[in-house]
Amino acid sequence: MLSRATKFIAAGLAAGVVFAGAVGAAEKAMKDAKAAAQKVVPSQVTKQAIGTGATAAAAKAFAKVSAELYPKAKQEGNLIIYSVWDVEHLKVITDAFMKRYPGIKATYWQGSNPEIITRAMTEFQGGQSSFDIVLSDNAPPVIRAGGGIMSYNTVQRDVLYMHDPTMATVSLQIQALAYNTKKLKPADLPKSWEEVANPKYKGMVALDDPMRAGPLSSMLSGLKTQWNDEARFTRFLKGLKALNVPVHKSTSAMFRLVISGEYAICMPALLHDVIEEVHKGTPISYVKTIPPVVFPRQAAVYAKAPDPNAAKLFAEWMISEEGQKTIDSVGRESSRKDFKSHTSIEAAFGKGTKPLPVTDKLFLEDPKKWLDINVKPIWEG
Amino acid sequence: MPVVGSAIVGAAIITPVLVVLWRSVTTGRLGFTVAFNLTNYLRVFGDKDILPMLGNSVVYAGGAALLGTCLGALLAWIVARTNTPGKTLVELMPLYPILMPPVMKNIAWILLLAPRSGILNGMLQQFFGIGTPVFNAFSMAGMIWVFGLACVPLGYLFLLPVFLSFDPSLEESAYIAGSKPLHTMFKITFPLAVPAFFSAFVLNFLRGLRSFETPVLQGTPANINVFVSRVYDSMALEFNTGLATAYSVILVVLSAITLYFYVRATRFSERYATITGKGYRVKVIDIGPWKYATFLTVFIYFLVGILIPFVVLIVVSMIPYFDYDTFMSFPSNAVLTNYYTVMHHPSFVTGFYNSLVLSSTIAVITVFAGIVMAFTIYRTRAPGTKLFEFIGTVPLAFPPLVLSVGLVIIFLGTPLYNSLWALGIGLFVAYFPYAFRNASGSIVNIHKELDEAAWVHGARWRHVFFKITLPILKPSVGGALFYIFIEAIRNVDVAVLLTSPGKEYGPVTLFEYFRLGQWAEAAAGGVIYLIVLIVAVSVAKFAFKMKFSL
Repeated sequence: MLSRATKFIAAGLAAGVVFAGAVGAAEKAMKDAKAAAQKVVPSQVTKQAIGTGATAAAAKAFAKVSAELYPKAKQEGNLIIYSVWDVEHLKVITDAFMKRYPGIKATYWQGSNPEIITRAMTEFQGGQSSFDIVLSDNAPPVIRAGGGIMSYNTVQRDVLYMHDPTMATVSLQIQALAYNTKKLKPADLPKSWEEVANPKYKGMVALDDPMRAGPLSSMLSGLKTQWNDEARFTRFLKGLKALNVPVHKSTSAMFRLVISGEYAICMPALLHDVIEEVHKGTPISYVKTIPPVVFPRQAAVYAKAPDPNAAKLFAEWMISEEGQKTIDSVGRESSRKDFKSHTSIEAAFGKGTKPLPVTDKLFLEDPKKWLDINVKPIWEG
Repeated sequence: MPVVGSAIVGAAIITPVLVVLWRSVTTGRLGFTVAFNLTNYLRVFGDKDILPMLGNSVVYAGGAALLGTCLGALLAWIVARTNTPGKTLVELMPLYPILMPPVMKNIAWILLLAPRSGILNGMLQQFFGIGTPVFNAFSMAGMIWVFGLACVPLGYLFLLPVFLSFDPSLEESAYIAGSKPLHTMFKITFPLAVPAFFSAFVLNFLRGLRSFETPVLQGTPANINVFVSRVYDSMALEFNTGLATAYSVILVVLSAITLYFYVRATRFSERYATITGKGYRVKVIDIGPWKYATFLTVFIYFLVGILIPFVVLIVVSMIPYFDYDTFMSFPSNAVLTNYYTVMHHPSFVTGFYNSLVLSSTIAVITVFAGIVMAFTIYRTRAPGTKLFEFIGTVPLAFPPLVLSVGLVIIFLGTPLYNSLWALGIGLFVAYFPYAFRNASGSIVNIHKELDEAAWVHGARWRHVFFKITLPILKPSVGGALFYIFIEAIRNVDVAVLLTSPGKEYGPVTLFEYFRLGQWAEAAAGGVIYLIVLIVAVSVAKFAFKMKFSL
């Protein structure tokens, strides 16, 4: 029998080997990540007017790229998606995709944005070819900033509300000012985003945390760009703070509290959630005269994707008319200017509504850095 | 041999912990890690909010642990030592609340106690004309109440075997000397339960320190920030796992301080040994008319612990949306669409099946490993047992999400990654401290004279372990298996990063509903889960005569 000391040394060595292996793998991953980060194409977001025949041109471009990518994607045979979207939505979308492109098996993993980022970046740093595409709003820019995204410029860019040359914008996060119809009369509603900071709404507003990369911070970025007025922005932010309302870290939980009547105003809510609740007969509505803030939801190809052609094909298909119809069928917003649905900006806010796109380059690339520079000194000052 | 087993278990537990610590001394945002340095720690110690948040954490975790452990101990004493009527019912009632997933409890209590939209405040206004909100879920008291209730089962399950295995001669001596039952209880019974009480309190306190759902759902709306929020913010806002792990190390220090006091308080463990070589029967005390009061106590706990929140969840799962008026209109507005939605969720059934299989397996492995390590510490003269004690408890100090990051790093590139085994190991690491502390508490209560008798007769360690220790621990093994199974089957924090495409885990599916704001569907899923678990526990209790105590 081994002596006690020998047993201890053996056990210690075993633990040491496991630990050293983990550290070594992670260190190698760090180096890879740094190298990959330098190759990333900087993001540019542009909003272009839709031209005559753009729809037809996009359809043609999609047919061509689809014909090119499908045989290669079929050879790859798989598609692994990491997404923040509801599993029920992902099921509908992947089923439609697999029906359209037989021979490709699509699977998904669902998590929150921080979980997706943590998992994706840990895998990236570990050199893992573990998934193909990220389908989310806040996660892709952060992963891209870490070098984890393979640049891909969609061929259907001309029909999009918002375009990023490194990632396909497949849907939009459209923010609306929602309110509880039992708590507020239409005459008492704020007339603009800015008016929510009016002291008369003290105690009535459910406020998203402006210091997290969530809907309110996207809105702040959009408003700051539109106003281009530092004093006005500061006044607005200070006004929100003066409401002395608690901030929430979960938009969905906050929205639920507005429905329950705990608060009267949801600052902000997501349009597809609001429309869904309105259809259910929930005492919720939104202010149609306040221009919606729009933020891209992207399908971003992973830098070490084992099935890159399947990933690109999926991104293109999501933007195509068929893909957009599938997205619309689960109640999510279209990213195309030429696609009509009940959650499209025109249908929800009226013809001629000019949305407020989030276009700040720094915010889209590094929301935390943008918040540290533009919001933190005022909010925490 | 037990030392080797404990060393392997210790290595499995300490490795992710070391990876997390290593991550804390590397800097930079994800993808831009540069080098080993102390930047993360400099940021942590330069954080001006750290002390107020730590203060909030201690008040919240301490308050909830005290409430939960005391109430759990009281229930255990009532069940084990008194002649409270309805024995079987009284034994079962304290168990059911443990079955409800924590998030479900939070949702139910928010709906009950929210100041403006809460059901209880609404009733007070409607029926008694009290306009000013009396209850407030979004307050420190509300947080302590909800998490305190979640701490009761651990207190109950830890204390029950102590009271059940009590040598009555100690109390009888007191009675002979003229002591009254209440006096005897406070002077003899409760002091002897101190190690188990401290074990349960420490575990509940540590759970409170790292708990996230209650502070986020109830604390954030009241601007009450606890320390663990910083850990999650570092990941959720900054995506900086290095900083998150550095913040976690503060929790480790706090936990180490807590454990130091615990070890000091229980260092003369033989004092508390109540299972000796002498034979005896546990004596049930006749508490006279007080037995109705004790029955009422158990019943009230059953009401607030599960029945009321469960009823709220059932109603919420069957109404179109929640507000006070719609709630009060039930059942005229009842619908079953949420149940249909949940049952047709792509991952619900497979996830539920996976969680049942994995939780059962992990419970067995974890409980056995916990007993082996506790046996090594308290029944062998192996060197470094203090180190084992620390290793066995240290995962408790880490927020589960941070710990699972360490596990993901370890599993990357191995066949385990993206398998259910990885998730199983994650659950093992997360719940080992519960198995270990439970086994420790029980072994401390077994007097060494039993082992010594075997040693004198030439027995080897395996004889002592399998023929003496394990059979005596049998009553608490059922409870430990039950507790870890229940904790594992509702785990979200560890599971969320370790699940993978095509390998669903039930609680994650359920939590997804909650995260996406679909409270009604989450409630429907929670009700289905609860019904299955309640049936399982009742069958185990009545059909298989299983005892549930730790």
